[in-house]
Amino acid sequence: MDPTPPTAREGLRHRPRQWQADMFRTVVEVSPNAMVMADAQGRIEFANARTEQMFGYGREELVGEPVEILVPERFRAAHPRYLRGYFEAPEQRAMGAGRDLYGRRRDGTEFPVEIGLNPLENGGERFVLSVIIDITARKEIESRLQASAAELARSNADLEQFAYAASHDLKEPLRMITGYLDMLTVEHGEALGPQAHDCVRHAVEGAARMRALIEGLLAYSRAGTRAPELGLVELELVLAEVRDNLASALAESEGELDADELPVVRADRTQMLQLFQNLVSNALKFRTAQPARVRIRASADGPFWRFEVADNGIGIEEPFRERVFGMFQRLHGGNRYPGSGIGLALCRRIVERHGGKIHAESSPEGGTRIVFLLPR
Amino acid sequence: MPPSSAPSHSILIVEDNPGDIGLLRAAFQKIDPTIELVFAGDGIEALALLRRDHRPDLVLLDLNLPRMDGRELLALIKKDPLLRPIPVLVLTSSAAESDVRNVYDLQANGYLVKPDEYSGYLELARQTRQYWFSTIRLPTHSH
Ligand SMILES: Nc1ncnc2c1ncn2[C@@H]1O[C@H](COP(=O)(O)OP(=O)(O)OP(=O)(O)O)[C@@H](O)[C@H]1O
Ligand SMILES: [Mg+2]
Repeated sequence: MDPTPPTAREGLRHRPRQWQADMFRTVVEVSPNAMVMADAQGRIEFANARTEQMFGYGREELVGEPVEILVPERFRAAHPRYLRGYFEAPEQRAMGAGRDLYGRRRDGTEFPVEIGLNPLENGGERFVLSVIIDITARKEIESRLQASAAELARSNADLEQFAYAASHDLKEPLRMITGYLDMLTVEHGEALGPQAHDCVRHAVEGAARMRALIEGLLAYSRAGTRAPELGLVELELVLAEVRDNLASALAESEGELDADELPVVRADRTQMLQLFQNLVSNALKFRTAQPARVRIRASADGPFWRFEVADNGIGIEEPFRERVFGMFQRLHGGNRYPGSGIGLALCRRIVERHGGKIHAESSPEGGTRIVFLLPR
Repeated sequence: MPPSSAPSHSILIVEDNPGDIGLLRAAFQKIDPTIELVFAGDGIEALALLRRDHRPDLVLLDLNLPRMDGRELLALIKKDPLLRPIPVLVLTSSAAESDVRNVYDLQANGYLVKPDEYSGYLELARQTRQYWFSTIRLPTHSH
């Protein structure tokens, strides 16, 4: 009849009506989803092969029955109301947005489903075509995922708890080591030869490193296991305390620390002190032969305060700028720059627990600039 | 009467860790050998001593002790009208703020954090003597 060959755009439209109808039926039959067509009264007009498998009914048992036959009993009473509502404003949409939906098999068992609703009109009559997907497998995976996430959270918490207890208890024997080493030098110093003094000095240094490590671990696990104790924190005062605590490091590095006026933030005070102190201490420690210059800036940035701690030190090479925030990550041997590699990991944890972010970049002076955000 | 032979002061130290005991003993011995030190290894032992009429001028009390811990002992001392006047200083390695609040709620007379070094113990002994015993250590008149 039609001499011109069909274009792709025309699709099936050039086919005879009967052919189209057959094709439509085939597509519906092979669909992996159950398809159920019902009229405005909710009587089942048609159901595909997958519906039979999914619900355990033969088609002849379904046609003419109310769709509620496929709905668990406890939801049946409300269903006709939903159906009427649908025909008042028919549109293509998902059924029961936000609710968990269930199908009911012939044998009374239930399974979770997802249902898409499509309005159809034919010869002035209105229908609704429900496309039903059995989501049992997906739900199972979801719940298994949830279970393993919960399990992971629990074992992480256990580990944190363990790290906390261990580092706390390690302090006791360490105190004995340092206490008695000190007593040895104070009370018996004269009796010791130079080599013995050397031994004691190494032991004292080792113990000091161990203390720094334990305290770092303790602070780190504390920041992870306990929710921050939020209060209004005057960062100006915090910085004054940092200056105090780092007075000798500042003097020794001929360092200069200048800062913008710092805001008051809602935060955990102890953690703010740890954050600023670690960053300033790094800025002083990782210096070149030049005297250290540390500059702290603060500015409003949308819903955040943006802070920068910049120095003129040795800098952090680009490939390592993420890595240094990991636990125990250090870029230099302990002789030149002593440390345990916990400082920045602690800083990141603190900032993140406050809902902010932290990263490293290079500073205009060629040193390092640590940038972090805290909620305003 | 020369001060060295004067009946000096007595401290009851409630502590179970031999290491701490050694450091405290050495430090007090050096700062003032006239101070009598009596040791108890746990709360029950200390309480027995106190109830047996031992009246120290000061109690130094560790918190973590076997059988009866420092908090329990502190509470019992402060509830007992006879023992109550004895000053109790809590001596512990924990500087956690919640612990500090806790022992003051139990009416401790002071709170000392255990030093990391021997020098710290010497300082602790010096200050303890000066602060808690100084009022009775007025210079004696010699004619
Ligand atoms: N301001 C800085 N300039 C140059 N390098 C830095 C700076 N801050 C950190 N780094 C590098 O990142 C590493 C990790 O820093 P972090 O503060 O975590 O550890 P640390 O200072 O070595 O030890 P700790 O802080 O536990 O005493 C450092 O060892 C150093 O190599
Ligand atoms: Mg550091």
